[in-house]
Amino acid sequence: MSAFAADLRVISELGRRSIRQTIRRPQLSAPLIIFPTLLLAIQTGGAGRAVQLDGFPQVDSFLQFMLAGAMLQACMLAGNSGGIALAIDIEMGFTDRLLAAPISRFSIVLGRLAGTAMVGAFTAIWFLAIGLIFGVPISEGVLGVIWIIALVAATALAFGGIGAAIALRSGKASVVQGLFPLIFVILFLSTAFFPANLMLAPAADIAEYNPLSFVVEGLREPIVSAFSGPDSLKALASIGGLGAIGFVTSALALRGRVKRGG
Amino acid sequence: MSNFRANVAMIRALVRRSSNELLRVPGAAIPGVLAPTIFFLGITSAFGGLTLLPGFTTSSYQSFVIPVSLMQGAAFTGAATGVNLARDIEQGWFDRLLASPAPRPVLLAGIVLSASLRSLIPATILLIIAFAIGAHWPGFLGLGIALVVVMGMATVAATWGTSLAFRFKSQSAAPLMQAGMLLFVFLTTAYAPLDLLTGWLQDVARINPVTQVVEAARQGFVGGVTWGDTWPGLVALAGLAVLLSAMALRGMRRMTA
Amino acid sequence: MAAIETEGLRRDFAGGIVAVDGVDLAVEEGEIYGFLGPNGAGKTTTVRMLVTLLRPTGGRATVAGYDVADQASDVRKSIGVALQEAALDPLMKGRELLQLQATLHGIRKARGDELADSLLDRVGLTKAADRRVGTYSGGMRRRLDLATALVHEPKVLFLDEPTTGLDPVSRQAVWQEVSDLNDEGTTVFLTTQYLEEADMLADRVGIISDGKLVAEGTPEALKAQVGKPHLELSLASADGVSVSSEGNDAEEDKAEEVLARFGKLLPPRDGKLLVEVAHGASDIAPVIRALDDSGLAVESLDLVEPSLDDVFVEKTGQHLEGDDDAVDGAAEPEPAAAE
Ligand SMILES: Nc1ncnc2c1ncn2[C@@H]1O[C@H](COP(=O)(O)OP(=O)(O)OP(=O)(O)O)[C@@H](O)[C@H]1O
Ligand SMILES: [Mg+2]
Repeated sequence: MSAFAADLRVISELGRRSIRQTIRRPQLSAPLIIFPTLLLAIQTGGAGRAVQLDGFPQVDSFLQFMLAGAMLQACMLAGNSGGIALAIDIEMGFTDRLLAAPISRFSIVLGRLAGTAMVGAFTAIWFLAIGLIFGVPISEGVLGVIWIIALVAATALAFGGIGAAIALRSGKASVVQGLFPLIFVILFLSTAFFPANLMLAPAADIAEYNPLSFVVEGLREPIVSAFSGPDSLKALASIGGLGAIGFVTSALALRGRVKRGG
Repeated sequence: MSNFRANVAMIRALVRRSSNELLRVPGAAIPGVLAPTIFFLGITSAFGGLTLLPGFTTSSYQSFVIPVSLMQGAAFTGAATGVNLARDIEQGWFDRLLASPAPRPVLLAGIVLSASLRSLIPATILLIIAFAIGAHWPGFLGLGIALVVVMGMATVAATWGTSLAFRFKSQSAAPLMQAGMLLFVFLTTAYAPLDLLTGWLQDVARINPVTQVVEAARQGFVGGVTWGDTWPGLVALAGLAVLLSAMALRGMRRMTA
Repeated sequence: MAAIETEGLRRDFAGGIVAVDGVDLAVEEGEIYGFLGPNGAGKTTTVRMLVTLLRPTGGRATVAGYDVADQASDVRKSIGVALQEAALDPLMKGRELLQLQATLHGIRKARGDELADSLLDRVGLTKAADRRVGTYSGGMRRRLDLATALVHEPKVLFLDEPTTGLDPVSRQAVWQEVSDLNDEGTTVFLTTQYLEEADMLADRVGIISDGKLVAEGTPEALKAQVGKPHLELSLASADGVSVSSEGNDAEEDKAEEVLARFGKLLPPRDGKLLVEVAHGASDIAPVIRALDDSGLAVESLDLVEPSLDDVFVEKTGQHLEGDDDAVDGAAEPEPAAAE
């Protein structure tokens, strides 16, 4: 068997393990579905009248507007919880055992990322289903749904890389866990929950340039109106950029960890 | 030693012990302490435009949201107390307390009181930052009521977390402890006045007793303090605290069944 | 009055598990009672019921004269408890833990501080008193746990496997402490997986297996039940070669004749002659002298006394796990049918 095929098998095995972990450790998996869902319910109920404000984009309902933000939030939480799981593996010495095995080192990280991407795809389906149940139309139909699932999976992959980098660098679950509030800082400073033109300064100005805004707009357009070339490109570029940062930093962190000897 | 004095000494000792979580674990307190402030800054910058809706009761969204974030901080603190108790149960520490002759309500009081005191820490940080960015000064009375309500809400959240800890005896119940209380706090007039909430939330907020609690804490910041807006919140807190304490005590007694 | 008394004590768990199945026992005041059993036998469950952490689902139990179910808080005032997993808060300091324990027993602060000091001294932790428990070694934790159980000078002390996982020196220290406490009048109920510990410390031993008390008595009485001590010996021939090979049957017959005068002969094993003796060690010299008188030289001689493990094997049909010395030698016969 070629080395590449062997690596692929390792990646898929570790990916499956990480999904199993997500399911079996409810304390890790519950927040990444429950929190965005609760927040979605609360915000659509509490701020739903915002659609009547002058300057609010043309949407069917506030829920339709909010779905993209909820998916993005779930992706970030999935990346975070993947990082926590990796850090726990490191703390327990499981990663050392893998590092000692004759497999490509990076496939250890890729395995976990594959799992995180799957979890991301699941959250996309979850929130699209919620939209469907509450009568939210998806403007671009089936094609839009497929596009959204793929984009969300890619986003989860990118945040998984960042989470893995922090886990590999720190080796401590509590450090990764501590990033939880930070996720909301960045989200609130994007257009995940509200259109930039109606946000208060200085958050509004930050949101204009926050790459998360580009990602969320790329997800939102096919839901609320129509595919938009420039928006999709900006989203892809942002995801690519975040992904690249995640990959490079986790590759470096992994190298550092191997050099330090575990 | 008189029973009363002995009981007070026990509660004090338990409170002192739980303060170790903050004082002896570097950094452990930071996320919990900062989270409400972060949410406050996030919610107000994202949803600040809501005050432009006709019928909104204030033009300062920050003043409107302060009480919500205060309640959120109290809820987090209470949930953390539940998680710590679950860990104590998992590790067998709580058996030590159960095997001692300390009266069970005293054990519960020790746990809950420390949550209620601790909740003042995130509240203080939040208030300092909120005032710094221009939230209304609520007056000493308004501030006093808000802080009393914070401690009451932390008590309620701690009895909730504690009940779940006795029920599940595992830290994996943490999301339930956190999410349960957050729902209670946010399914209220958290984001907008009652009249501006959308259909279902309006109905839920109307019957959710925590709406009264949020409104009691809010009066100083939005409008003015009246007895009429104060007592329903205090009654709601007292009712919830009594109900959940009874649940927690029953759970504690079941531990030795 | 018995310090501990149980009647048909029983505990069921969900799923049809009967962890403790009708245990009757009585521990007199001032006794050390050793509760011996393998993993999962029901030791901890019994202790948890006696210390009011678990309600019996059948039968009854009294500790210090109080019913564990109906007078739980009186029981709690009378007992000291050190549970199997030393439940210590790693963030607290040793002294703080003792002070907290004193407070929980309603002892005034000044008196509690005094008691903490003297107990720390007693268990040899004075130097470590102001360090966090998280930095203690396993042995130090056990000693601290023992100290916390003593804060209110309990009448009855429960120790659940107090020495499991300790090195021999730490184990010795705990034994010494337990026997000192007992000399001062404390009744001790101690569970253990170590035969040696039960043998050394306990005035009486109860053996629990599968939730049932299968034997009870002083260690001596229990051992006497399973058999008398016997001698195992081999002879040296005149030229110094061991007799076990063929051709020396005559010598062997002669030896058996001599040995039969001291007690019942047992079938030879591994070329060694076996004879039961009535008194044990004091029989050795006369036996050697008698063989010598008949012109027979002894190459090796062992006195084999029944151990609690033999008792254990006889009563439960299995060896006690967790005790390495217990399962010795290859030639253990199949245990007699378990009672
Ligand atoms: N809470 C429980 N729920 C279900 N079964 C239990 C529970 N506690 C104990 N058991 C079962 O009861 C039996 C006796 O357990 P116990 O802990 O009393 O044994 P033990 O003699 O103390 O063993 P060890 O030497 O391992 O400490 C075991 O089969 C155990 O699985
Ligand atoms: Mg046990």
